[in-house]
Amino acid sequence: MKEMNEAMRAAIFDVFERMYYVFFEPFHDEYAEYTMGSSIKFDGPLRGELMILVSEELAKVMVQNLLGIEGEDIKEQDIEDCVKEAANMICGDFLSRLDQTKVFDLSIPLFIRLPGGFREGNRACRLSFDSENGMFGATLSLTE
Amino acid sequence: MSFNVLIVDDSHSMRSVIKKIIAISGFKMDQCYEAGNGKQALEILSKTWVDVILSDLNMPEMNGMELLSALKGDNLLQEIPVIIVSTEGSDERRNLVLKMGAKQFIKKPFSPEHVRKILYEVIGVGDDGTYEGNERGDESSDF
Repeated sequence: MKEMNEAMRAAIFDVFERMYYVFFEPFHDEYAEYTMGSSIKFDGPLRGELMILVSEELAKVMVQNLLGIEGEDIKEQDIEDCVKEAANMICGDFLSRLDQTKVFDLSIPLFIRLPGGFREGNRACRLSFDSENGMFGATLSLTE
Repeated sequence: MSFNVLIVDDSHSMRSVIKKIIAISGFKMDQCYEAGNGKQALEILSKTWVDVILSDLNMPEMNGMELLSALKGDNLLQEIPVIIVSTEGSDERRNLVLKMGAKQFIKKPFSPEHVRKILYEVIGVGDDGTYEGNERGDESSDF
């Protein structure tokens, strides 16, 4: 479990620092207001699903920093695409950190709007972070 | 000397980022074509010539591995250098795509410097746009 947490944390930091120029600090997010997320399934020596959770503010900063557009120029499609790509990159990076020698197949990421907030289920891994640009959470569930 | 580039990725934002990196890297780009999957890429390639392809692996309809197979099975298209840009970074996957004909593998997340370095290696073009030759270029051209 500790190994998974460490690999997930490193993957999140790497993706956000290199692609979105966002720097996180650990955060207990019981009051976090995630408004959207993206889920991606993986299959291989381990099977499961990663879900990332993003606040509205953070999603806009991700688009702004990745694509260089801001304000009213940011479209819903840009946000959706950006959040899905973040899930894709974090999942791939996480799995290769767990075991560089093993092949995993990833699904196409799905984008989810969360009008009612996020309900936590049974998860193998749960991490949350805050930044000056908004909040981020990640959950990992494994299937037998 | 300027080059035609084809970027294949189902993520519009990732295509934009790669295009932006190529544009600011000093690489002399003529046309930049974009495709959302391998099938769309083959449609573009049936109408126009490109000098390099940067392709994702995990895409709907026709993924990057299937695109590599299709290119390898075509006498003309197999000459186009392909750089795989993917989140899937296992040694086995990397070796497989290189065996299937890809020239290089860039793992996401990437830095602009790394993309630029790989492009330089594959195409043989420096920051100033000077062509420095590669295997194919040395045989077929004298610019």
